[in-house]
Amino acid sequence: MQPWIEIKDASKKIDDFQLGPVSLAIEPGTITALVGNNGSGKSTLLKLIMNLANLDGGEINVFGKSVNGKDESWKRHITFQPQNSVGWNAYTGEDLKRLIAPLYTKWDEALFEHMIKLFDIPLDKRFGKLSPGQQQKLSLSLALPRSTEILILDEPTASLDIPSKKLFMDLLVDWMEKEDCAVILTTHQADDLRKLADYLFLMKDGRTVGQYEKDMLAAGFRRYWLKEMPAMPVPGELSRSGNELISDNPDATEQFFTQHENNVIDDKALELEEIISLLLK
Amino acid sequence: MLPIRLSKDSREPIYHQIEKQLKALIAGGHLSAGTPLPSIRALSKDLEISVITIRRAYQDLESQGFIETAHGKGTFVAEIQNSMKQETMTASVQAEFERAIRNAMDYDYTVDEIKMVFEETLEKIGKGE
Repeated sequence: MQPWIEIKDASKKIDDFQLGPVSLAIEPGTITALVGNNGSGKSTLLKLIMNLANLDGGEINVFGKSVNGKDESWKRHITFQPQNSVGWNAYTGEDLKRLIAPLYTKWDEALFEHMIKLFDIPLDKRFGKLSPGQQQKLSLSLALPRSTEILILDEPTASLDIPSKKLFMDLLVDWMEKEDCAVILTTHQADDLRKLADYLFLMKDGRTVGQYEKDMLAAGFRRYWLKEMPAMPVPGELSRSGNELISDNPDATEQFFTQHENNVIDDKALELEEIISLLLK
Repeated sequence: MLPIRLSKDSREPIYHQIEKQLKALIAGGHLSAGTPLPSIRALSKDLEISVITIRRAYQDLESQGFIETAHGKGTFVAEIQNSMKQETMTASVQAEFERAIRNAMDYDYTVDEIKMVFEETLEKIGKGE
């Protein structure tokens, strides 16, 4: 299938921060989570996709069109929710909806009203007077109903309380039931990754660590407790400490243990958070 | 929500675990023909597994005739023949015994000892203990 977003060797230098070259493809029907330490370049990458910053090198295509070309029609097919919506503070929720809704031909008024009620957001209060959590809820209520093919959310759950996070996940899953759509989100919440992500794109200090299918990534690491730690290095060995060994190639590691005296007491998969920490070390 | 319990610590591939448990639910009559199944995305969220894995499991189950997809309507449990139900149940029971026997062999039990454990366990369960 032709990817909807194609990022090829994109690079950007901001002061002394160098992003990229980064390559990434987004396919329809998927949720991709951008994961990385603070300052890894996730938000910069999203801005490049939206053509809110100029590329230094490489290219980004959305629906086959270059994002820095003259034809900007692709923008109507993408919803971008930044971490901070600049220029919204003076407007009420009602104002914002009146400004945004007409721009999108598939605006879903019923979904908007449903979300406002569900999240209990006062529409007559200025955006700037709302709490960070309320601002985030209102932003989401102004994003999902646009019903665009692509939805890009920069840390959508950072300020949400636990019940609201759950509501948001259910809403997003429902939103994804539409025939063709794709989501990119950045997050530091392990729960978002576990419940929503299909692919994880890991970044560190502006560089790509890798793009992984979530379940392949989870199956690719394993921890073993051994009766006795072999003196020689074990195939797949990533680290050892006492009688504990972590492998990033369980097949090779287990083949070795079967060939040599089987001295495994127990073994266990690693949590996604732990794998990510290992990869971002 | 489907009563599917995945073991993320198991080395058995996740899509295989999903297939096996859905087959057991269908063959055991817990999910009757025509029952709607959750969408791939919804099951992905509930089981905390990517849609890629869920799609693979659904595709395998569909090609084996356990489920069917009506375009635009969703996925449903298919009408399956009694012979297939029987086969699935037998295969599932056999697999469980195999696992238990291999476990006993790992502890160096002899065939006779294994038979003894089996008889004792059967008797115990028969008495409702």
